[in-house]
Amino acid sequence: MSQVTETRELFTLNCQGAVLRGTFHKPPKDFPTTSSTGILSLAGFPMPRAGHGDAAVYWAASFANLGYPSFRIDLPGAGDSSADVPAELLQFINTGGHERVAAAAVKQLVERYNLSGVVILGHCAGAISAIFAAAICEECRGLILLDAPFHLPPAGRPKVRDALFHWSTRSRFGGLLSNIRDQIKKISLFLRRNAPPENTNFPLVKRWKDLASGGLPILLINAPPPKASGTKPRVGKFDYLRHILKLAGDRSRVDVSIIESAHHTFSDPAGRDAVRRQVEQWMPTFFPFENLEQATANFAQPMHSNNEADFSTRQSMFARVDATREVESLP
Amino acid sequence: MGTQHTCRKELEEDADYFAVPGAHLYTVRHRVEEPVARVLLSGPFASERHYSYDPWVRWARYLAQRGVEVLRYDYRGVGESEGIFEETSFQQWSEDLQLLASWLKSRSPNLPLVLHGLETGALLAGLAFHAGVWDVLLLWSPPANANLALRPTLLRWVVADQLFKFGEDRRPASAYFQKMEEGSTIEVEGYRWSAKLWRDSHEVTLPLAMEDEDRARAIYHRPVRVVRLGKEAIPLIKGGHAVTNEPRNFTSLFAKNWGWLAGALAIDGGGVGESGN
Repeated sequence: MSQVTETRELFTLNCQGAVLRGTFHKPPKDFPTTSSTGILSLAGFPMPRAGHGDAAVYWAASFANLGYPSFRIDLPGAGDSSADVPAELLQFINTGGHERVAAAAVKQLVERYNLSGVVILGHCAGAISAIFAAAICEECRGLILLDAPFHLPPAGRPKVRDALFHWSTRSRFGGLLSNIRDQIKKISLFLRRNAPPENTNFPLVKRWKDLASGGLPILLINAPPPKASGTKPRVGKFDYLRHILKLAGDRSRVDVSIIESAHHTFSDPAGRDAVRRQVEQWMPTFFPFENLEQATANFAQPMHSNNEADFSTRQSMFARVDATREVESLP
Repeated sequence: MGTQHTCRKELEEDADYFAVPGAHLYTVRHRVEEPVARVLLSGPFASERHYSYDPWVRWARYLAQRGVEVLRYDYRGVGESEGIFEETSFQQWSEDLQLLASWLKSRSPNLPLVLHGLETGALLAGLAFHAGVWDVLLLWSPPANANLALRPTLLRWVVADQLFKFGEDRRPASAYFQKMEEGSTIEVEGYRWSAKLWRDSHEVTLPLAMEDEDRARAIYHRPVRVVRLGKEAIPLIKGGHAVTNEPRNFTSLFAKNWGWLAGALAIDGGGVGESGN
């Protein structure tokens, strides 16, 4: 028995009274372009740290091979970690329950592995924790958010709603009714002057605004939800993407990718490969291997700086990705 | 708001890699100072591992709190274990289980050794028990063969994959079955299922003697228990909504199975108040 293999190392963190289990994917030995910025992966609910279809393992191994020390941890209530957490775990996560423990984990990883900082990659609920943690964590140098939900799960009768949803996807008549309902919701949205819905996760949106408008490098990667079209949400649905980009402002360093053929889990071959490629393109832009000292100095600035000169003038970009084709930049 | 409990003993867990030919298996050992028995947990298959992980870990902790040392692990090519899923086989997973069993037995040859399998893991556990070194066997919801464990997973995936597809874009589950039967590899919930995996799954069955508990006990002269888990055991077994915020309560399930296990090990099964919440 050993905690180390040639490419991986198991570790334990003691954070905020919780014992967190994790896996470190090591860059290859004597790799010439190892970065001092690590990538920490937080899986979606209720997944252990391997993520859906072990996609997080694949990504961490890929990023480590590229030269980025990569980490995956189980936050309290998931996987092999051990802690007192509320039984209603999803609600707890949505309201930032993992904020402090995730921030403490980042801090410990930076100290233990002698990193200059960490980029947090979060999927779904993991993305929520990533945003909350980044807002209180100086060591967080960037965010990679996979299908981050900016709304809370709707209240109501999920079983009935789920049954209706599945019926509407299986029958043409159901699909027709579904389309009519979408149009009614569109009118309702118009009458509300396109205001964020009541179930918007406002504390999360506030932290997003602080981070994004403060110039933190952020890569948003989304898979189109059912009946969505490219960057447009389903008819009648509030356009969270537009909303958060607007909040981020002109000085933000937010990049967006829509991976057309991916599922929400990104565990399908097309999704996982597209995420890998997007991150591998994006990371060196902000966390380059060469001129490491200069790069570290650039990104070691306070995250919430209001000094315009601190930030690049890089525009937010939309890149729609069809995993079977080349990356296509959108206006 | 309730909490999921943690006691000091739960922290006595060692995560390690166990070397097998060509890979390292991820293991978690729930240590107990003076164990009354050791148990090896053989979990469900591939993507089911993730959905059932939480109650599976809770069960391991529940047993450790009662003086049973637990070793759980990930199959080669799955979760935290190394290996390439589509290149591995039921044969290899069986051999890995035997290697772990030998290691566990070597730690204290005089302690009773329990093998507990869930779903596909129950089939592998049954085969390992038949082969030898175990004292007690507990099986949760073993299918008649591994293919019957794969099918519902594939059907669930097809439903998700076909959402809002109509006409020619929509393919029935039979098209997926046919693809594998024709020798193609397909992707199911992030795992690439090879034609060989599909073909072999028909051959992975429980030993005949285990189809009936009484018969199994008579043949093996050792305690054997086969439990068909009901809906209350979701997400240990497939069904319902795997992703839910509703707190699950496994107290009754765990207590019943512990009661039987304690009897089989001839130890006092009472006296520990922790629940399976």
